[in-house]
Amino acid sequence: MLNLMAAMIPALPAIAALWVAAGFVLGNNRGESGEAQTRRVVLSAATLSFILLLCIDLLSLFHGKLPGELQLFPWLNSGDYQVNISFLLDGLGLIMAHLVSLLLLITLHFSVNYLHREAGYQRFFIIMSLFTSAMLLIVMAGNTVLTFVGWELAGVCSYLLIAYSHEKTTTTINATRAFVTNKVGDAGFLLSIILSFFWISSTEWNDIFTKAGELDGLQAGLIATGLLIAAMAKSAQIPFTPWIARALEGPTPSSAIFYGALMVHAGVYLVIRMEPLLSHTPELLWMIALAGAATAIYGFIGGLVQSDIKSALMFSTTGQVGLMFFACGLGWFEFATWHLIAHAIWRAYHFLSSPALMHLLPDHSRFIPAWLQKRRRTYTAALQRFWLEHITDWLLVKPILALSKDAQTFDQQVVNRLFGLPGSIGAVSSLAQWEEQKHAHSTQLDGDSGDIGRGRGLIGKLMEWIASLLHWFEEHLVLKGGDDGILQAVVRVGEALTKVDEMLSRPRYLLLMLLLTFVVIL
Amino acid sequence: MKAIQSSHEDLFKRLQQAIKQMEQVLPGQASIKDFVHHNTLHGFEHLPFQEAVEKACKITGNHGYLPEKQCRALYHEGRITQTGLKTAIEGTPALKANELIFKSESRDISRSDIYLTRLLHPIKAVTGCQINWELGEMKALQTFQSDVDSTARDRVLTSTKMEEHEAINDLWSACLHILDLDHFIAHPEDMLDLTPEKAQSMLSQMVPDVDHPEGQPVIDALIRKQAHQEIEKLFGQVGDRLTLEGMLKQLTGEDMLEEMRPVLVRYMAAFLDQGFSAWPGPGREAGFYSFWRKSAAKDIARVFDDFPDWSDTLEALPEDAFDTVIIELRWLGLDEEKWEGYLQRLALELPGWSGMFLWRHNRPGYADLDTVNVNMIDYLAVRLVMERLFAQRLCRNLWQIEASLDVIRWYFNHHLPEFLVRQNFYNTHLPEYLSTLAQHHLSCSDVCNTDDQQWWHLAHLIWTWRHSISKGNPNGHNLFSSGWPLFRLSQHLGLCGAEIRKLNMTQVDMIFECLKTMDAQQAGFLWLQAYEQHYRDQFFNGVKNNHRRGRWSTRDSRPDAQIVFCMDDREEGIRRHLEEHNPGIETLGAGGFFGLPINWRGLDDEQITPLCPVVVTPSHEIRELPKKHAEPLLKKHQRRRSIRLRLQDLIFHETRRNLLATSLLIFISAPITLPILATKTFAYGKFGRWLDKTRKTFDLQVPSDITINAADPEQAATPETPRIGLTDTEQADRVESFLRTVGLTNTFAPFLVMMGHGSISQNNPHLAAYDCGACSGRHGGPNARAFAAIANRPAIRQILRERGIKLPDDAWVLGAEHNTCDEVIEWYDQDQIPSALQGGFTQLKKDLYIATLGSAHERSRRLASAPKGTSRKAALNHIFGRSKDFSQARPELGHATNAAAIIGRRSISQGAFFDRRVFLISYDPTQDPDGNIVEAILLTAGPVGAGINLEYYFSTVNNEHYGCGSKVTHNVTGLLGVMQGTTSDLRTGLPKQMIEIHEAMRLQVLVEATVETLTKIYMRQPPLQELVGNGWLLLSAIHPETGEISVFKPEEGFALWDNPVTPVPVVANSTQHYQGHHEPLAPALIEITKEAKHHA
Repeated sequence: MLNLMAAMIPALPAIAALWVAAGFVLGNNRGESGEAQTRRVVLSAATLSFILLLCIDLLSLFHGKLPGELQLFPWLNSGDYQVNISFLLDGLGLIMAHLVSLLLLITLHFSVNYLHREAGYQRFFIIMSLFTSAMLLIVMAGNTVLTFVGWELAGVCSYLLIAYSHEKTTTTINATRAFVTNKVGDAGFLLSIILSFFWISSTEWNDIFTKAGELDGLQAGLIATGLLIAAMAKSAQIPFTPWIARALEGPTPSSAIFYGALMVHAGVYLVIRMEPLLSHTPELLWMIALAGAATAIYGFIGGLVQSDIKSALMFSTTGQVGLMFFACGLGWFEFATWHLIAHAIWRAYHFLSSPALMHLLPDHSRFIPAWLQKRRRTYTAALQRFWLEHITDWLLVKPILALSKDAQTFDQQVVNRLFGLPGSIGAVSSLAQWEEQKHAHSTQLDGDSGDIGRGRGLIGKLMEWIASLLHWFEEHLVLKGGDDGILQAVVRVGEALTKVDEMLSRPRYLLLMLLLTFVVIL
Repeated sequence: MKAIQSSHEDLFKRLQQAIKQMEQVLPGQASIKDFVHHNTLHGFEHLPFQEAVEKACKITGNHGYLPEKQCRALYHEGRITQTGLKTAIEGTPALKANELIFKSESRDISRSDIYLTRLLHPIKAVTGCQINWELGEMKALQTFQSDVDSTARDRVLTSTKMEEHEAINDLWSACLHILDLDHFIAHPEDMLDLTPEKAQSMLSQMVPDVDHPEGQPVIDALIRKQAHQEIEKLFGQVGDRLTLEGMLKQLTGEDMLEEMRPVLVRYMAAFLDQGFSAWPGPGREAGFYSFWRKSAAKDIARVFDDFPDWSDTLEALPEDAFDTVIIELRWLGLDEEKWEGYLQRLALELPGWSGMFLWRHNRPGYADLDTVNVNMIDYLAVRLVMERLFAQRLCRNLWQIEASLDVIRWYFNHHLPEFLVRQNFYNTHLPEYLSTLAQHHLSCSDVCNTDDQQWWHLAHLIWTWRHSISKGNPNGHNLFSSGWPLFRLSQHLGLCGAEIRKLNMTQVDMIFECLKTMDAQQAGFLWLQAYEQHYRDQFFNGVKNNHRRGRWSTRDSRPDAQIVFCMDDREEGIRRHLEEHNPGIETLGAGGFFGLPINWRGLDDEQITPLCPVVVTPSHEIRELPKKHAEPLLKKHQRRRSIRLRLQDLIFHETRRNLLATSLLIFISAPITLPILATKTFAYGKFGRWLDKTRKTFDLQVPSDITINAADPEQAATPETPRIGLTDTEQADRVESFLRTVGLTNTFAPFLVMMGHGSISQNNPHLAAYDCGACSGRHGGPNARAFAAIANRPAIRQILRERGIKLPDDAWVLGAEHNTCDEVIEWYDQDQIPSALQGGFTQLKKDLYIATLGSAHERSRRLASAPKGTSRKAALNHIFGRSKDFSQARPELGHATNAAAIIGRRSISQGAFFDRRVFLISYDPTQDPDGNIVEAILLTAGPVGAGINLEYYFSTVNNEHYGCGSKVTHNVTGLLGVMQGTTSDLRTGLPKQMIEIHEAMRLQVLVEATVETLTKIYMRQPPLQELVGNGWLLLSAIHPETGEISVFKPEEGFALWDNPVTPVPVVANSTQHYQGHHEPLAPALIEITKEAKHHA
C-alpha cells in the first residue's frame, strides 16, 4: 500500500504529461479550447500527488516512524547487477518531496492564467508536469540510477523550456549551451553509478552509504567525485556557473521554478544526500567549500552590476546556492537543508513577482559604497561575469570545434578519396566546362590528356595510380631524360610534409598528442 | 571615389542633423514607468498614411498592415465584406478599377475582378518544388483548386460541358499555350549532369553581350561580368540598406551582432539604468563612449576571444566621441554622402535600444538622472568601434585582410569565384549537391587554402544551375511566376480554356500588370479600408437609427446628477449601464484632466507629478495637505508608511543585492512567504481585498485638504516656475472654459461629479499603459478632486454667475476616481457634502455601484476566463479578483477594440449600444456658433485619440516588430523597458496580451457640427490637415439638426454618407443584446422606458 502510494507520487505527473501529450498528438486538446482539459489533467495530477504525500505523512504519524527505504520491485537485472525501483523516504527525502510538490502546484496554478492563449500552452504544461515527476524522482529515489533518471529528465525539461520561443536563434543557442554544460555533470553521475556497480555491486543509496566505509579512500572518493561533479553542474557552481545566466529565456513561471526555486537546488540536495559518503572523504569537503565560496562571491559581485530583474535574481540565487555548498563543505548539512528550503520558497515568490518588482522600488536600489563604485576593473570583471564563459570557450569549446573541423577535412580529403565515395563524377556539370570541351575539341586535334583510364575506390585508385606512375615514369624519366621532373616531385612531397608539420604544431594537436600519450601511459 | 572632405564644423552639423532625423525612424517610446500612447509611426505623420506605412516598411522592414491571411479570415467571419473591398478598389483612382480587360461570351472581366480575386485568394508565384507537389500530390490537373467557390466552378463546367478533369486539363494547357510555355518541370536537382543537348540549347541562348574576341569562351566572360556587377551592387548598398556587419553577414553567414549584442546590451543597460542595479557604472557622468572605452580597456575577454589588436585600437581612439565617429567612418572607407544613411542603418540594427538612447538624449536630466550624460553620438561611436573590432577579427581570420570596404572590395575583385560562391550559398537556396560542395569549400578555405581553380569550378556549377532553372521564354513569362498564377486566377474567375485561348498578348499583359500592382502594400491598404468601412457603416447606421432618440439634447428638466467621465472608450459601458439604471442621470465625457493641468503632490509624494496631456506643461502645483487637526496623525502615518516601504524594499530588493543578509532575511521571511504565496495563488481576490484593508489600517488614513488657492497671487505662474495654487480668476477661467467645452452651462443637477480614472493591477510592467492617457499615463483623480474643490467655492460661483453660468447653491460638485480595472470608485472629500444632500449622495453611490456591476458583466463577455452566466455579482467579483491576481497577464483589456470617437452631445449616442468601442467627448454645437470650442477639442482630443488608436493599430498588425511580443518571457530592465530574455533588443509597443481582440483600424471621428464649420477649421489648422488630411484619423460630420452624416475625404472634401438606413435590434437593455456573445457586436437601440421619456 505504502509502496504503491510512494510510486504514484512521481508517476502521476508523468502520466498526466503523457496524457496531455497524447491528446495533443491526436489533436483533441490543441489551441485555446484545449486549455481547460490540459490544465485540469495536469493540476489534478499535481494535486493528487501532493495529497498522497500528505497521506504518507498521516501514516507515518500513525506508525510513529518515517517510511524510510521502500523496495518495490527489481527493475533491471543482469548477472550480479540489479537495479530496483526503490524510494528513500527518510526525513530529507520526505521534506524535499513536500517542497517540490507544493511549489510546483503553486507554479502550475500560476501558469494557468499567465500562459493563457499562448501558442505553446500545452507544450508548457506537458514539460512542467514531466518536470514535476523528474524532481520528485530525484528527491525520492532510493538508488542512484533512479535519481539519475529524474536528473536527466529534469535536464531535458530545462532544455525544452529555455527554448520555449524556439523560433529565436538566441534562445536555442542558450538552451543548447545549458544542456551541454549539464551533460558534463551527467557524465560524472554515470561514472559514479558504474563505479558503485563495480565496487559495491549496488546502487541503492543505503548500500552505498554503509559499504563506502569498507572501500579504500580513493574508491569512495571517486564515487563521490562523480556525483559531486553532477551536483556542481546542476547547481551551477564554479566553474559550471555561466549556463544558468543563459537559461532565463523561457516564460517567467518556468524561470521561477527551474532556476529560482527547484532545479538549481537539486545539486545541493544531492550533496546533502551524499553526506554519509562524504564523511569518508574529507578532502572532497574542502573542494565543496571552495567551489561554494567562490560561487557565492561570484554571485554577489556579479549581482551588484546586473541591470535587468531576471539576471539580478539569478545571480543572487547563484550566490545563495554557493553559500549552501559552502555550508555543506564545512559539514553543516542540516543548516544547508534549511537554507535550501527557505531559499526555494522565497525565490519562487521573488521570481513570480519579478514583473512588478520595478514598482516596488521606491527610488533606486541602495548603492554600494562610493569607494567601491570606482573600482573599474572589478566592475568590468563583474559585468563580463568574470570571463568564466570566455575562458571555457577558449579552453574547451574552440579547440573541440577546430578538431571536429579538421576531422571533417580529413574525411573529405583523405577518407572519401580513399574509398572513392561519389563526388562530382559527372562528365560535364557546368556550361563553362562544356564550352571549354567544345573549344578544346575544335582546336586541339590530338585529345591526349595523359590520363590512362579512371578507377574508383581504393583498389581502383591504386590501379589507376600504378598505371599513371608507370606512364609518368616512362614519360618523364625515360622519354624526357629527367631534367627537372624528379626535382618537382620532391618539392611537392616536401610541401605536403610541411603542411602536416604545420598542423601538428597547432596547440590543439599538441594537446591531443599529450592526451594520447597520457592514455597510453595510463 | 572620395567626396571632397568637408570641414570639421560642417561634419558636426551634419551628424547632429542625422541624429535629429533618427527620431523619424526609431521608436519614440518613453521609459516604461512613463509610458504614454503615441503613434508608432509618429515620425512619418507628415506623409499620407499609405505612403508612411510603405516608407517605414522600406526603411525598417516592418510590414504595417494585417497579414493577408488574417484579413481573409476576417472576410470569412463577415467583418470585411466584398462590397467593402469593391468600394475600396474603386476608390483608388490609380488602380483604374473599371477598365475592361476582355469580354467573353457571357461576361466582362475588368481590372477590378482581377484585383478582387487576387485579394480573396492567395495567387502567388511558386517554386519548382511547390509546383511538383501541386501537380503530383494535390492532383491539381484533375480537380479544381480546393478554395475555388462553387459558382466559378459551375460556370466552367457548364460552359465547357466537360468532365472536371478534362476542363481543368484544358485550362492548364490553355494557360501554357497563351504564355508560350512548355509543360516541362525540372526537378531542382536535375542539373547534376548536363546532357550535351541541354548544354547546347542553353549555350545557344547565351548572348555574348560583352566585347570579346570571336571564338573565345563566352560563359567565362559572362560570369566575370556578372560577378563584378554584383560586387558593385553589394558594396553600393552599404550605407543605404546595409552596414558593414550586414554586408559581412551576406558574405560569410556570420552574424557578428549575435556575439556583440550580449556585451553591448550589458553596457547599454548598465549605462541607461535608472537605479535598478546596486552598482551604478563608474564614470557614467562622462558619457557612454567614455564609460565603455574605459571599461572595455580593462576587459580581458580580448585574450580569450582572439582580439589581438583590441587594446591598441582602444588606446588609439580619440577622447571625443564625435571625432571617433568621423575617424571610424573614414577608416571604413564610406563615401561621405552616405554617412547619415550608414548611421541610421546602424541604429536600426537595435531599434529599441537606439530609440531609448535617443529619447534620453532629447531629455537631459530625465528622472533626476542629470548626472548621467546621455548623448546619441556616444552611442554611435561605440557601435562603430565595436563593429570594426569584430569585423577586423572576422576578415583577418578568413582572408587575412583589413575590414575596410575598399580592401574587401579589392579582395573580392581578385577572387571573383569565391564571391559568387559566398553570395549564392549564404543568400539563396541551392540544391543539396551544390550546397554540400559549397559548404565544404567555405569551411576549409582557411585550412587548406583552396585554390582559385576549385572556386571557379564551383562557381561555374552554381551559375549553370541558376541559369537552367530560371529559364523563361522571350516574353519574360515562366511556369512558376506566370503560368501557375494564371491557372489559379482563371479558376477563381470561372474562366475556361477556350476563353483563355482567345486572349491576345495585350490582354495577358494587362492581367499580369494587375497582379503586379496588387503588391502586399496595396493589398494591405485595401483590406484596411474595407475593414474600416464595414465598421463605419454599422456605426453610422446605429447613430442614424438613434437620431432624435437620445436624451439631453436640451435639458428640459433637471437631471438627478451630472457625471463627467473621461472620454476614454472604456467608460462607454459604465455610462450606458448607469443611464439604463437611472435615466435621470446625465453623463458627459471630456479629457480626464478636466481642463485643469496641474503638478500634483500628494501627501506621500516627495516629487511633483504632472497630470495633464504630455504636450502640456502645467504652470500650477496643487498639494495635498493634512487637515489641521490631523497633523499628529500624519506624522504617525508617515512613520508607519516609511517602515512598511523600508520593509518592502528590504525584502524585495535587499534579497537580490546582498549575500549574507539575504540568507538571514529569507530565513525570517520564508515561513510567512509560503502561506502568502499559496493564498495569493489560490484565493487572490479575497486575499487582495484583505491586504488592501490591512495596508490601509496599518498606514492610517489621514484626512486631507488640497491647496487650490494661490499662496502668492503676485507671483507669475509659468511652466518654468510653477506656482502653488491658482488665483480666483485662474480658477474661474478653468472651470468656465471646461463647462463651456462640454456644453454644460445650464440646468445643473444637484450633483455634478468629476469622475477621473486610473487602473491598478498586479505584476504588470506596462501599468502606465492602462492609465489615463489625458493625464500622461497616470490617474486623473487629483484633477477631479481639485476641480470639485474649486467649483464649490462661493467666490468662484459668484464669478461664474457674472459670466453667465449659474451654478445654483443647491448643487454640489464632487471629485471621484473610477478604477477601470477593478471597477471600484473612490470618492473625495465626502465629508464636505452639505447635509441636505447626504441622502441624494447615498442614492447616487448606489446607482453607480449598480452601474459598475453592469460594466463588469459586460466586460466579462470578452474575457475568455470570466464567468459567462447572468449573475452580475459574480462578474464583478471576477473582475475584482482579476485585478488582484498576480498571475493574470490580462488584468483588463485596456483600450483594445477602440474604433471611433463622437464629439458632440450625449443625445447622439445615448440610448444606443456601442460596445465600449467609442471615445465619447461632450460638446454642444448649439453653444458654439463660430466653432472655436470644437476647434480646440479637435486640437487636443484628436492627437490623444489618434495616439491611442494608432499605437493599438500598429502593435496589432505587426506585434513582433511594432509591438513587444508576449508578456510571458518579458524581463524588465533598468526600470526603463522590457527585453525578451536577458540579451534581446529593448521591446517597444504593446504586448500581445493587450491587443489580441483589437480590431486594427483607424479611428472614425464623428463630430456634431456642420460641414461648413469643420471645413473652415480644417482650412486654418495645419495640425489637423496633417492628422486628418493624411488619413491618420478618419473624420466625419453629423449635422446638429438634420442628423445627416458626411464623410471627409482628403482629396475631395465632405461627401454625404447616403447608405440606406437599416433597422437595428431594439433591446430592453444592453445585457439583452450582448448576453451570450463574445464577438464584436453591431450597435443596437435600447428601449426607452416611460421614466426616461419623462426626462427626454
